[in-house]
Amino acid sequence: MENLNTLFNAGSVAIVGASNNVGKKGYEILQNLIQGDYKGNIYPINPKEAEIQGLTAYRSLTSIGTRVDLIVIVIPSKFVSAVLEEAGQLSIHHAVIITGGFREIGCDDLDAAMLAVAEKYKINIVGPNCQGVNYTPNKMCVSWPLIRGKGPMAIIAQSGTVAAQFGLIADKDSIGVSGLVSLGNKSGLTEIEFLEFFGTDPNTKAIALNLEGIKEGAKFLKLVKDILQQKPVIILKPGRTVKGMIAAQSHTKSIAGSDKIFDAACRQIGLIRADSIDELYDYTKILGFLSKPAGNRVQIITSSGGSGILATDIFEENDVDMVEINPELKRILSEKLPSHCVLSNPLDLTGDTDAARYETCVEEAINFNNSDMFLLIFGDPIPGAHEVVSRLRTKTDKPIIVCYLGGGKIEDEETQKMHLVGIPTFPTPTRAAKALAILCK
Amino acid sequence: MKMEKVRSILYKAKEEKRWLLEPEAMEILKTYEISVPEHRFINDIKEAVKSAESIGYPVVLKIVSPAILHKSDADCVKLNLTNGEEVRNAYQEILTNAEKFDPKAEIRGIIIYPMVKAGLETIIGITEDAQFGPAAMFGLGGVFVEVLKDVAFRILPLTLDDALAMIKEIKGYQLLCGIRGEKTKDIISLAETIVKVSKLCTDFPEIKEIDLNPTYVYEQCVTVVDARIRVG
Repeated sequence: MENLNTLFNAGSVAIVGASNNVGKKGYEILQNLIQGDYKGNIYPINPKEAEIQGLTAYRSLTSIGTRVDLIVIVIPSKFVSAVLEEAGQLSIHHAVIITGGFREIGCDDLDAAMLAVAEKYKINIVGPNCQGVNYTPNKMCVSWPLIRGKGPMAIIAQSGTVAAQFGLIADKDSIGVSGLVSLGNKSGLTEIEFLEFFGTDPNTKAIALNLEGIKEGAKFLKLVKDILQQKPVIILKPGRTVKGMIAAQSHTKSIAGSDKIFDAACRQIGLIRADSIDELYDYTKILGFLSKPAGNRVQIITSSGGSGILATDIFEENDVDMVEINPELKRILSEKLPSHCVLSNPLDLTGDTDAARYETCVEEAINFNNSDMFLLIFGDPIPGAHEVVSRLRTKTDKPIIVCYLGGGKIEDEETQKMHLVGIPTFPTPTRAAKALAILCK
Repeated sequence: MKMEKVRSILYKAKEEKRWLLEPEAMEILKTYEISVPEHRFINDIKEAVKSAESIGYPVVLKIVSPAILHKSDADCVKLNLTNGEEVRNAYQEILTNAEKFDPKAEIRGIIIYPMVKAGLETIIGITEDAQFGPAAMFGLGGVFVEVLKDVAFRILPLTLDDALAMIKEIKGYQLLCGIRGEKTKDIISLAETIVKVSKLCTDFPEIKEIDLNPTYVYEQCVTVVDARIRVG
């Protein structure tokens, strides 16, 4: 197995099937590589063109005449083996095969031929039938859409769309990603090799997985268990129902075992399971940013009574302790806050609050060892929230999680500023509380 | 030596492409120090009565045949026999019913047990998962497994802590802790039994399925009352 470091940190990329025609994958991938500001050499391969998107086009890999680290293949499946053969002779060891039309549609012979060449020349294959890879530290997006925001989370996904959406949400949130991998058919590289890479990648603090089936169960469990000692891993595995499982099997010919057993396996090694893209993103985000609290007692401080109740229900259902407010703390706060504030848990600062009241509450609360973490719900357009939370973070190690909603334009600005300094912020009390419950597990 | 005995039993069943016979399964469980009732495997009516007397009445008779896996369905289990005459009648009846159930069934003999006092019914099993290989299963017997699907799984190999976590995970766990004035059941022995069964499967990967149903749990011990083991 050639080291995947060369794949992700490739210094040169050839796109076999690069195109000048908008709408073709060979156009889009080349465009993303260029617009993503990739610093390495780019070689578009297409015998029918002299120039593609402003770059010199080459007839073949051989005609490039210099070293190539990675090739991206977007030509029809029946030509793939021949291209790999050529790549092998040129000592190219990494290929991303975007093209579909292999065993997922019953063309097992094309699959076998491709794998035989890959085996012969020791070529690592991503896909086929995949949406490529994107590694932001190398500004290398050989995938779509173009996602440029660099951040601490990596996603390894069977579904290209799940990977893309995860990256888009992270980008919009100003959090960004380190890497995106679409596994496709997993004929060559599987989740195992990518987990090994991201598990030791210094640019990656948390790993999100989306798998429809697992190829080597025992190896997977051992590997994830080891990685979990270093960084969080969260998995989204659809196919919980019988019909869902059948759909998973036909999608990428995954072997799906019993979902109950999969669930047990996750529990056994402490692998957290998400049930939706939102959960996968939220859990990866919170675990990527925050350390585990010392205990499970939470204090909610909110401007919205209703939002506080929504979070309370989630905490109660997930064994997070909605601890009673300390009587002495209550006395101190009653002197510092307006009399209409509800000094309880949730602590309701009510709709007329400014950001300063939150600061007062947390500053006083950290003098009492009564709670292990805080959920601050900003349920109105409250400016300056991010400054308050940033300051509070320097005063306590206890995790502070933010939920910001009902704040319109100010909310958008504040949320973005929080994310830029690594404060995980959630758009609903339910999502914030669920994520926090996961942090406590 | 003990391992050799287990290996040869498994080999034979595999060669003959059949599930283990009940006396074979019981023998293997005993080798792994899993508590099973005293039993005799015989194929002669006079032996039956002699064995019943040495075990002590009341006794249970069951058919031993590779063709009859679900013995109760074939009416080949006779419970609570209290004397020699009942044993002789039961013996004849089982053979007649087996013949009726499947005229071609090869009859190896009859297994005799003492009538075991019922404890809390549980099921311990091993199943082979397509992704993760062998996994242990635990649940409470009867409606809990059949209707409520209240079972817990763990991938092999597993520790005593894993087994205890499995037991605690089921919704009916309260029943093992003793409710309505009943005393707590022997949860430690139950967990130990799960670990021993798992050990058996990791030692012998040719075992593909185990079904210890029922496994009775009492206040101070556990007994496996029926065992089915499949090799592959």
